[in-house]
Amino acid sequence: MALINLPAFADALLADFESLDTLRVDTPVIQPAEPFLAMAGEDLRRRIFMTESETGESLCLRPEFTIPVCLRHIEAVTGTPKRYAYLGEVFRQRREGGNEFYQAGIEDLGDTDTAAADARVVGDAMRVVANRLPGRALSVTLGDQAVFEAVVGACGLPAGWQKRLIHAFGDQKHLQKLLTELAHPRTVGVFGPEVVRLSMDGLLEDEDRLVAHVAETMEATGYSTNASRSPQDIARRLKEKMELANTRLDRKTLDLVGEFLALDVPLADAPAALSAFAKKSGLKLDEALARFDARVAALSTAGADIGAIRYRAAFGRPLDYYTGLVFEVEVAGTHAVLAGGGRFDRLLTLLGAREHIPAVGFSLWLDRIEKAITSQGGVQ
Amino acid sequence: MTITIALPSKGRMKDDASAIFERAGMKIVAVGNDRSYRGRVEGSDDVEIAFLSASEISRELGNGLIDFGVTGEDLVREGLANADARVEFCARLGFGHADVVVAVPEIWYDVDTMADLGDVAADFRARHGRRLAIATKYWRLTQSHFSGSHGIQLYRIVESLGATEGAPASGSADIIVDITSTGSTLKANHLKILTDGVILRSEACLVRARKAAHDGDPVVARVIAAVRGVL
Repeated sequence: MALINLPAFADALLADFESLDTLRVDTPVIQPAEPFLAMAGEDLRRRIFMTESETGESLCLRPEFTIPVCLRHIEAVTGTPKRYAYLGEVFRQRREGGNEFYQAGIEDLGDTDTAAADARVVGDAMRVVANRLPGRALSVTLGDQAVFEAVVGACGLPAGWQKRLIHAFGDQKHLQKLLTELAHPRTVGVFGPEVVRLSMDGLLEDEDRLVAHVAETMEATGYSTNASRSPQDIARRLKEKMELANTRLDRKTLDLVGEFLALDVPLADAPAALSAFAKKSGLKLDEALARFDARVAALSTAGADIGAIRYRAAFGRPLDYYTGLVFEVEVAGTHAVLAGGGRFDRLLTLLGAREHIPAVGFSLWLDRIEKAITSQGGVQ
Repeated sequence: MTITIALPSKGRMKDDASAIFERAGMKIVAVGNDRSYRGRVEGSDDVEIAFLSASEISRELGNGLIDFGVTGEDLVREGLANADARVEFCARLGFGHADVVVAVPEIWYDVDTMADLGDVAADFRARHGRRLAIATKYWRLTQSHFSGSHGIQLYRIVESLGATEGAPASGSADIIVDITSTGSTLKANHLKILTDGVILRSEACLVRARKAAHDGDPVVARVIAAVRGVL
């Protein structure tokens, strides 16, 4: 099917959004490509539809709404908090399904009560999906990058290793590879011959001399010292890398991280499971766990169906602007994600907002929801 | 059935390819004058030769407009998504060697592996207000090596169609992905190859477009056997 028409439930969905105290926004279908590529990475290029303006500006068909909605918010300078809702077509090159399909969702910007805002967004997503699929049991998977960051931080790894692991969170294969490397560090090919020479000349112990040496060499070889990495950058990370190379994760800590990542429990049991893990491992996770517990409590207060939610410790998204909560909503027993969301506190600053704006939101895959309605054979 | 073999239209690649076919008993003669872009194989009526540029050969293999082509593996893997499903690499011909590599400034003393580069890329935006920029004409190979094999997502590709090695010194990119045969151009530009930065060891190959009509075709089998026989 080349064109997916507006789903029959669009009006009912918009009415839901309105009752959830949101402001409906629309954004142009043709967007500058740069922000999407800069935020999501070069891989996105293959999955979006790109074109060029007459003046050579890279443009693309809107592949999603979060970035355009946030950019619009920054440009409009309307202040926070703001709750936006959208419904419209997005365009992506997909292996399955059409290349143009509808998405709808809510972006909640600027609410500083993180636990309440998280709970509300999960509750809203569950409610609007449930309203389209009455009588169907939903299952929600919830993850929290902040808890993983706390575990990695408490393991006493050098900052460089923490960054590597946090960066890979959500990409199970890559994370596993890093942990294996951390247990069995490579010894060959890690440092080039120049580093050995620097070491013999005593430059590695003297950062000022090292910086001066790098700067001189750059100038002598025609490299600008400020267009890319500066001599200070290089000297600083060389030091960090020597620390990294000398780090080996002991068996016990490796097992602990593995045990943590394997946690998969009903959300109602998660606070107890995490606190038991912290106690047993001796890792200090108090702050992250307090926030986690506050979110669970806020979900109860908001009246969300907590019984439908599972916490999976390894669940995350390997994008550097996600910071805490992530979640997905499916019909129980199926594997089609109908709604996905999370907290992206870093995104607005990355997009150019002057002040820090906490943000959390979700989007709905309307074509998959339509399919789920049809497969149930009923009319909603 | 008549089959079409595309050969490079100029330079050493043309001479080396013609030499292999001649050794394989398929002497190639130009149709018309020496500069003609059509040729034939002496003594066989069922093979046509088309002289094309190396990158056109990879494209036409993907379109299935030719049956065989002699071209660099790098161009085929860069030019075609799912290359192995669409073409078959029948023989590696032993000339046109070039490695597609990730190279960074020599002065980056702290970067010798892809893992190092991942660290630098992850921090780049916070430190420099932009993503790490890679100059290359190999978009596809770069993406599959960086994100597919090494989990590195945060970089930008700056398209470079020539003199790629000069991009880091001139400041138009931070690092490069490019081909090198001897490494001397990299050295002259003060660049070094990462220890796990060889993306592809490429050389000229006899490549077949996968077509159903080739199954059981004696001419197709004969060409492959003849070329393999002289390597």
